[in-house]
Amino acid sequence: MSNKRKRVDFIYQAITYIASSISVIVLSMIFIYVFSNGSGLLNWGLVVNDYHAQFYNGGIDPVTEFSTTDRPASLGDESYYSERWGVAFSEDIDREGKTIIVVDYVAPDSPLHDMFDKNNDVNEDFAIIRGNVVESIKFYDKNSALAVQGAEHMINELDTENEFREIVFSSLGGGIRGSIVTTLYVIGMTLVFALPIGIFTAIYLNEFAKVNRVTNTLRSMIEVLTGVPSIIFGLMGLAVFVPLTVRYTSADSANLVSGSLTLAVILLPVVIRATEESLKVVPDDFRFASLALGANKTQTTFKVVLPSALPGILTATLLAIGRIIGESAALIFAIGTAVKDDISIFGKSTTLAVHIWSLMTDEPANIELASTIAIIILIIVLILNITVKLISRRFTKRFQ
Amino acid sequence: MEYIKNLKDKLKDAFHFNSKKERTDAVVRGFFLLATVLSASFIIVIVFFIALEGMIPFVTDNDGLGRVDLVRFLTGTTWLEGTAFQSNLYAVGFIIVNTLYIAFLSLLLSMPIGVLTALFIAKIAPKRIAEVLRTVVELLAAIPSIVYGLFGSGLIIVFVYNFAKLFGVQSKGGNSVLATVLVLSLMILPTITALSEVAIRSVGKDIEHGSLALGATRTQTNFKVVLTSAKSGIFTAAILGVGRALGEATAVSLVAGNARSGPSLGFFQTTSTLTSTMLQGLKETIGIDYDIRFSVGIVLMIVILITNMTLNFIKRKVGNVDVK
Repeated sequence: MSNKRKRVDFIYQAITYIASSISVIVLSMIFIYVFSNGSGLLNWGLVVNDYHAQFYNGGIDPVTEFSTTDRPASLGDESYYSERWGVAFSEDIDREGKTIIVVDYVAPDSPLHDMFDKNNDVNEDFAIIRGNVVESIKFYDKNSALAVQGAEHMINELDTENEFREIVFSSLGGGIRGSIVTTLYVIGMTLVFALPIGIFTAIYLNEFAKVNRVTNTLRSMIEVLTGVPSIIFGLMGLAVFVPLTVRYTSADSANLVSGSLTLAVILLPVVIRATEESLKVVPDDFRFASLALGANKTQTTFKVVLPSALPGILTATLLAIGRIIGESAALIFAIGTAVKDDISIFGKSTTLAVHIWSLMTDEPANIELASTIAIIILIIVLILNITVKLISRRFTKRFQ
Repeated sequence: MEYIKNLKDKLKDAFHFNSKKERTDAVVRGFFLLATVLSASFIIVIVFFIALEGMIPFVTDNDGLGRVDLVRFLTGTTWLEGTAFQSNLYAVGFIIVNTLYIAFLSLLLSMPIGVLTALFIAKIAPKRIAEVLRTVVELLAAIPSIVYGLFGSGLIIVFVYNFAKLFGVQSKGGNSVLATVLVLSLMILPTITALSEVAIRSVGKDIEHGSLALGATRTQTNFKVVLTSAKSGIFTAAILGVGRALGEATAVSLVAGNARSGPSLGFFQTTSTLTSTMLQGLKETIGIDYDIRFSVGIVLMIVILITNMTLNFIKRKVGNVDVK
């Protein structure tokens, strides 16, 4: 081999190394970006909190007994404590990056427990609790203490007073509980719609259908669905499933059911293909043995072929779940973009992926919260993919 | 009467079974066939209903705004939408050009990278590294498009914005043709890599051995013989990649910048694609702004169909080496 040839070969090889490294770089950049932006907000509160904050105006009757609790040792240095009112505030940053004042501690004998809801007299559950966000405290004889003036100012103002007109406070918003619950509902409903139809279709195509022109046409019509972009499915959901659910159910706009039906159509080819693949792997000997023992086709299919194909169907289910969690374009149309906290299957609300889209199209975009949701989605999708890989590896070994 | 009797007999024959088992079989079979027909019918439902809605702007007078002119719709260069304009001046001509232009550029960028990565995985890399890379590609393929969109609008447009400043160009916060192309090429890279790898690995060993026996080096064989033989498979990868690029919606809508006139051919200009246009004006639930999205949907389907057919035609002309 000439030296020149060696050099040229080396360059060519080096190019392939460089090209391959791009995939690795891109993957790590995506992960680094999403994690570095989103990990700050990732905590349990995010997962269980509502998205929309509830605002309250708490009034109080003249107080006779004030708190006698000393500053608890568990409070950090950044907390400010009012001994008279038995309450501690501190400054924090909310899920949109704004500075807020958070209630850190309310003493058991704090007079604040006697506050009433000024907007709703019969509200018995009314209370200011740890984690609430204080907007302002309004007094009778002096200026209000506002959140922008800081926690220290607010506590000092409060501590010198024996009464106040109202405390304006809210629950901490920006949580994603609603979107998580919606995603779970949508996964469940979509699988209920897509799995039976998909599995039955796969069984028909693989076990019952004769090889003729009709079968081929049916097969290619299903095959075409794989090439249709998801936004087109979304339009179909908007034109077909949304009016359908609005007419026959209590829904009045795009809802969870219309979204799930749309997703089910998207997933049909996925489920059908994966199930068919797993049916194909089951050796014909099994079928012949069953038939020879006097079982009919139905019995053979349900008692012999399907159990053997079960891991494949499980794989299809996991792939489907991954697709549901990641799907955004179709759902923007078929389920809507409204982020809600009270979830009902005929109501509006949206999945995690569309929640990201809503956050990103807002002005200004909330990249931190979007990244946090992206972390959750990425982790789930990765776990699903690894599981699928493990299952299919074990499954392919079984019949070899 | 004779005819009805004949028919009755025929039906009786058709529904006559020798045993209970056969009858169950027929019922179950019919049930499964029903599921299959249902699955297959969705493509018709999709085409029919989108066409039905998409026709409305062209055949009705849209609550007094007047019919949308089909020729102007397909060839025009501005898209005026929303209550501010209250017009029938919708045109997707420039958006079609944008869409094809962006898809073509994305393919141009990710095709060489994807094919070379595939060659590396299939022929050059040690087994361990190949396995790792294959997993990396699978993971990239599994990342949902909204996450690519987030990555694009958080990082890539910032990069493009600064890059544009180097050239003294003020881009709209980085939302541009270049950003869209970068995001899309990242998204179609795993598709192209995975499919090209399959194509490369299915090249017959005898072709390779023949080349080596003639004195070509491994690298020469890989580049000149293996890649050429896998041409048709690689072309299929490109076709699927273009399909994905044309139909991708959410990620593109976050980085394109939603230009309302065009076509945008400069790298730092804002742009808009058929899909990103469909995602605009979501608030409307009635009227022309609602219906027109379906019209754009029809255009998108036709564009994808024509592109696919053209590429398949080219593939038949080019891919003359038989690949098993």
